[in-house]
Amino acid sequence: MSEPQDRRAAVTGIGVVAPNGISTDTFWKATHEGLSVLDRVTREGCERLPLKVAGEVRAFDAADTIEERFLVQTDRFTHYAMAAADFALTDARLGQADTDQSPYSIGVVTAAGSGGGEFGQRELQRLWGKGSRFVGPYQSIAWFYAASTGQVSIRRGFKGPCSVVASDEAGGLDALAHAARAVRRGTDAIVAGSTEAPLAPYSVVCQLGYEELSREGEPGRAYRPFTKDACGFVPAEGGAMLVVEAADAARERGADIRAYVAGHAATFTGASRWAESRAGLAQAIRQALAEAECAPEEVDVVFADALGVPAADRAEALAIADALGAHGTRVPVTAPKTGTGRGYCAAPVLDTAAAVLAMEHGLIPPTPNVHDVCHDLDLVTGRARVGEPRTALVLSRGLMGSNSALVLRHPSAR
Amino acid sequence: MSKITVEELAALMKKAAGVTVSPQQLNDKPDTGFDVLGVDSLGLLGIVGELENEHGTPMPVDAERCKTPQQFLNLVNNTLMAGA
Amino acid sequence: MTRRVAVTGIGIVAPGGIGTPAFWDLLAHGRTATRGITFFDPSQLRSRIAAECDFDPAAHGLDAEQAERADRYIQFALVAGDEAVRDSGLDLAREDPWRIAVSVGTAVGGTTRLENDYVLVSHGGERWDVDHERARPQLHRAFSPSTAASAVAERFGAQGPVQTVSTGCTSGLDAVGYAFHTVQEGRADICIAGASDSPISPITMACFDAIKATSPNNDDPAHASKPFDNNRDGFVMGEGGAVLVLEELEHARARGAHVYCEFGGYATFGNAYHMTGLTKEGLEMARAISTALDQARLDPTAIDYVNAHGSGTRQNDRHETAAVKRALGQHAYDTPMSSIKSMVGHSLGAIGAIELVACVLALAEQAVPPTANYETPDPECDLDYVPRTARERKLTSVLSVGSGFGGFQSAVILTRPRE
Repeated sequence: MSEPQDRRAAVTGIGVVAPNGISTDTFWKATHEGLSVLDRVTREGCERLPLKVAGEVRAFDAADTIEERFLVQTDRFTHYAMAAADFALTDARLGQADTDQSPYSIGVVTAAGSGGGEFGQRELQRLWGKGSRFVGPYQSIAWFYAASTGQVSIRRGFKGPCSVVASDEAGGLDALAHAARAVRRGTDAIVAGSTEAPLAPYSVVCQLGYEELSREGEPGRAYRPFTKDACGFVPAEGGAMLVVEAADAARERGADIRAYVAGHAATFTGASRWAESRAGLAQAIRQALAEAECAPEEVDVVFADALGVPAADRAEALAIADALGAHGTRVPVTAPKTGTGRGYCAAPVLDTAAAVLAMEHGLIPPTPNVHDVCHDLDLVTGRARVGEPRTALVLSRGLMGSNSALVLRHPSAR
Repeated sequence: MSKITVEELAALMKKAAGVTVSPQQLNDKPDTGFDVLGVDSLGLLGIVGELENEHGTPMPVDAERCKTPQQFLNLVNNTLMAGA
Repeated sequence: MTRRVAVTGIGIVAPGGIGTPAFWDLLAHGRTATRGITFFDPSQLRSRIAAECDFDPAAHGLDAEQAERADRYIQFALVAGDEAVRDSGLDLAREDPWRIAVSVGTAVGGTTRLENDYVLVSHGGERWDVDHERARPQLHRAFSPSTAASAVAERFGAQGPVQTVSTGCTSGLDAVGYAFHTVQEGRADICIAGASDSPISPITMACFDAIKATSPNNDDPAHASKPFDNNRDGFVMGEGGAVLVLEELEHARARGAHVYCEFGGYATFGNAYHMTGLTKEGLEMARAISTALDQARLDPTAIDYVNAHGSGTRQNDRHETAAVKRALGQHAYDTPMSSIKSMVGHSLGAIGAIELVACVLALAEQAVPPTANYETPDPECDLDYVPRTARERKLTSVLSVGSGFGGFQSAVILTRPRE
């Protein structure tokens, strides 16, 4: 190609399997309407556990989307990933015929925090309850963290760079950045994102060790970051996959560029050291803005991490102020995840999907269940706010100590 | 020990590999490859494992390398009869 | 102007070789560390052998609390990290913490802790509705795949990007490859990179039993791992951890550091074929090798040694032989290619980093480690596998390759420092 290449990474497709919607349209409608779908945990075996409220994906029937054999061969988190990848590819109008022509030009990157917990628990039960001969052959490929990337790559015939970041929550943004960098290095497109399924009984028991986890039993009160009543976060399942594509490749095939992945940075400030996360998150924001060549004042909306732990909320509010200056107290901040729960690595990917949709629709979605903000932030609560956001900043922090910031730009941005 | 029927094999394919095939189909076209039916190498290992656990006897090593239901039934049934 | 990336420190916890001197001694003498499993009663299993580390956390500077809090795989990463950082001569307290990154690979994380606590809360596998009151505190943090990277970062004060890479059995190569990109593209000046796994637990052993991927040669564990040999019958499970300090070359030169080698190139592709199956042709691995060569600006004939994935399964060794021949052409026949899994077993995600440390040492020692236990040629594996005895050889550029469940095919090239 003799023309100058535009290797900027663009989002060209969005696929969502979320507690509040099994398609991008239903997800966006529920998100901008501020619907909360947090509810009592109903998953079998979880009845007596002290986690009472979660964001369950209830409207999804895997058999509608993926082949029957995968219901036996893979875990729920991979069902979500395969479905979300299909939705994203359809949304990007990247058909099998397109990708079959150059299989090495498209890859898969996922973030996975909890792996195939439900599948794994079933096989552990066989092993310890009946004996090692009762462990099935699919345990070797269903339970590990790479399962979703591998299955999506194989099912769709994608031979490009494939990767898995098995990180804490911030890994969701890192996976998108990983994809954007692969695109800048020369791969045309990466299907990237995260889906999680952490609501199997043993998976929940593992999470109970986190004091950040909300034990509140009333769904409307369980996850209220940035308020005096903040009592931790509510976990969730599901997630999103995005098509991250080189701008020139997208243009060449006449696809719409929905947003640019313009900047990213990640830092580390120690597991559960929330006060220290202030400096780490501020540093990540500054670096991500620098990479995007974006001035703080250009940020039109912030999708907050919103952990729901007072010290963490305070650190985040201060980090936004530290990094954005006076603009930090004026810029609209939102946390739609208070209506769906926090799906570990998947949470910031859903936020990224919401940010792209917010820029497209000129509407900043609200933060469900949250009233009476006790920090110096312009948190969007109640109803969506009409606006014309052109640059969105998505923030994420993880329980292992990672901080990550991603800058998205609408194609009409400067 | 009784022979494995096409009904049992169809049920095992469903349980161990998640593949639905009717016993009728297995009867009519017993030489259709497992790969065509959607049963991969791991699925066949799963079927063999289920049989071994159910019957409490090891299956011949070649069972997991059979290409078709016909081959598989012949081999496994010969083994089961020989052990009976 | 592309930033160049150097390896300035290495550290290792491997079966039969904790610390780089002991590890190299094992490899150089072709000794094997595979044996009957001692960690638990393996009598139910088909494959009852493994390469276990005789690892005492206290002897390697971990206090009782660290040992209690963290799964074995995390301890390996910390101990290997200590050695690598010490070896690099870096005074990390004087470095900008935002410019220090961490990248750790693991295929399965802490399955030992995960499984032990599962047994407690499920009353020995009886209950689906597990009893949370029996779980130990901080359970997820004790075994999560991201804990190793987090613990390494805390130990060394790293505040830059901290990443966990989990691409099955290529996790180690990919984690170090990711670190290479992180330093090359300027997101950090130093990256503490490596991988760790401790999969010798009943559930992991049982799941490889179920697919008959592991060797059932229980009667002769010391000779059970036979990569490329015609009588090979599967891999032997291993465990361990390895860490490399990757550093921007000018940063290393400015402080007068010893540079072991330069990171030449890294590439990974998916085979889009099967989660566990490999094609006969090895096209995707060949492409990873060729892409890494292009990055390193090397001709295939420049490769002096191939550190093979060489797991010892029937299909892997043929796949890999085909891939190397495809990528290196006729030169493949003139290039020694060995698998250290014959000696230290296959530690899933960790092994890629362990093999990179072996490559660094091979370059330093100008010697090629052997493939132990190699006796009988397989007509379809017709390269020079360096049978049983290490070989002195002038080495300038070496290649390490890996394959992982999920279809991952990765390649890394290391070269002696150029001016």
